[in-house]
Order: sequence, then structure tokens, then C-alpha cells
Amino acid sequence: MILEFFTMGGYGFYIWLSYAFATLSLIFLYYRSVKKLNSIKRIEYIYQSEKAESLSISAQVNRF
Amino acid sequence: MFGIFKPRTFFNLANNSIFWLKIIFAFTLVVGLVLALVLSPIDYLQKDTVRIMYVHVPSSWIALFIFLIIGVSSFISLIFKIKVFSIYAKSLAPIGLVFSLISIVTGSLWGYPTWGTFWSWDGRLTSMLVLVLSYVLYVSLWSLIKNYNLAEKITNIVGIVGLINIPIIKFSVVWWNTLHQPASITLTAAPTIHSSMLAPLLIMFFCFCILSLIIFLIRYKYEIINFRVNKK
Repeated sequence: MILEFFTMGGYGFYIWLSYAFATLSLIFLYYRSVKKLNSIKRIEYIYQSEKAESLSISAQVNRF
Repeated sequence: MFGIFKPRTFFNLANNSIFWLKIIFAFTLVVGLVLALVLSPIDYLQKDTVRIMYVHVPSSWIALFIFLIIGVSSFISLIFKIKVFSIYAKSLAPIGLVFSLISIVTGSLWGYPTWGTFWSWDGRLTSMLVLVLSYVLYVSLWSLIKNYNLAEKITNIVGIVGLINIPIIKFSVVWWNTLHQPASITLTAAPTIHSSMLAPLLIMFFCFCILSLIIFLIRYKYEIINFRVNKK
């Protein structure tokens, strides 16, 4: 029964390869998208931290 | 009515909905795969290879539909100068590219046991290949052209010109003699496939739509932040 499921009447190679290709492509697309989002979030965070730091420095300079 | 198209509204929608979309996706994926690989019957002519249909057909539909959205968004962006529509198109393009590749590869893997060949230069297959190349061109232009406004303008033109290919793909099986079979499901007539095969097909299509939406929302968030960072 299980063997029949995997062999798919002799067409298992084509069927499983199709599903595997679709699965791997979509996983790749999903993780690449998440990775890109996380990297741009980090850049935005660094940018905002630097901006906040420069603002506090200029505030200190103004005080003097 | 157009409030949903505002970047901030869409951004908040993306933040709030991704978790629930992932749950719906997981549920439909399990149900769809069980129906497609276990419970759906084999075809009397194509035997078990018909199970490739549950990946191939939804991928083709989504690839076509996404390019249609890209074309319309490009048109709106080019004519009415509404920037957010080109961001929608840019976020959607890699998703359409992957689904069009899945369609071509799974189609070839289905074609070999049924037609005896992986590839044939017939109307449907060739026009689908043109769609893949349009996606490749669209995505490449965005990454190759560093000037944002120029890239936006050129990709908008590619998106609009690429629209010509959509009716060609749709009617290729009617206009020319092709190895590819005519559509079993159309918007204007009752489907010609049995409900036991139609159900998994529609569930897998719904599942892929949800996944596309999740990835689109992630990519849209990336594009908005990227736009903001580069503007500063």
C-alpha cells in the first residue's frame, strides 16, 4: 500500500519531482523574502539609532 | 474605497494579517495535498500523472493573474503617476516568476509520460516561456537600473507590453493546433472535469493564492522600508 503510494503506478519519479520542485522553489522564495525584510529592518534600525545619536550630540553642542 | 491602497493602511494590514494567513495556508495545504495525492481518483487515460495537475494548473493561473495585476498596476503608475502601484508590481514580480517557472517545469514533467516529450514549440508552451522571460526581464531591470525613477518608467513599459501575451496564452489552445489540451475550467462554462478532481484543484489554487499573498505582504513591507531608507 505504502509502496504503491510512492511508486504512483510507475510515474512516481515525475510526480514527486514536480511536487519537490514546487516545494523547494516556494520555500526558497519565502525565505529569501523574509531575509531581505529582516536585513532592511536592521538597516533602518541602525539608521534611526545614528540619527537619534547625532540629534543628542547636536543638542549637547547647542547647550554649550 | 481607495483607502486600502494607501501605503500605511496596507502596511498595517500586512502586519496584522500575516499570522492568520499562515494558519489558513497550513490548513489548506494539508487538506489540498491529502486530496491531491491520496484521495483524488486516477485519470482513465493519464493514470497517476494527473496528480501533477494539482500543482501545474494553480501555478499557471497564479503566474498569469499576477502578470495581469503587474500590467494594470504599471499602467496606473505610468499614466497617473501613483508610485505605490509600481511598488505593488515590483513586490509581486518575483512571486509570479517563481510560479511561472513551476508551471513550465511541472508541465514538462507531466508532458514526458503523457506526450512522450518534455518540450514542444507549440502555441501554449512557447507563450508560457515568453511569460517567464517577461518576468525575468521585469525583475532584472529593477535590479540592474540603479536610478529608481528610470527603473520605474522602463519596468512600467515592460509590464504594459507584456500584457499582450496574456490573451495569447489564454487562447493559444484555441487559435493553434497544440499538444496542450484546451482549458477544462473556464469562467463562462461549466467545468468539464469531475468534482472529485475539481475540489483538490480549487483547494490547491486557494492555498497557493494565500501563500502568494503572504509572500507579497512580506515583499511589500520590504519595498516600503527600502523606499523610505533610500529616500533619506
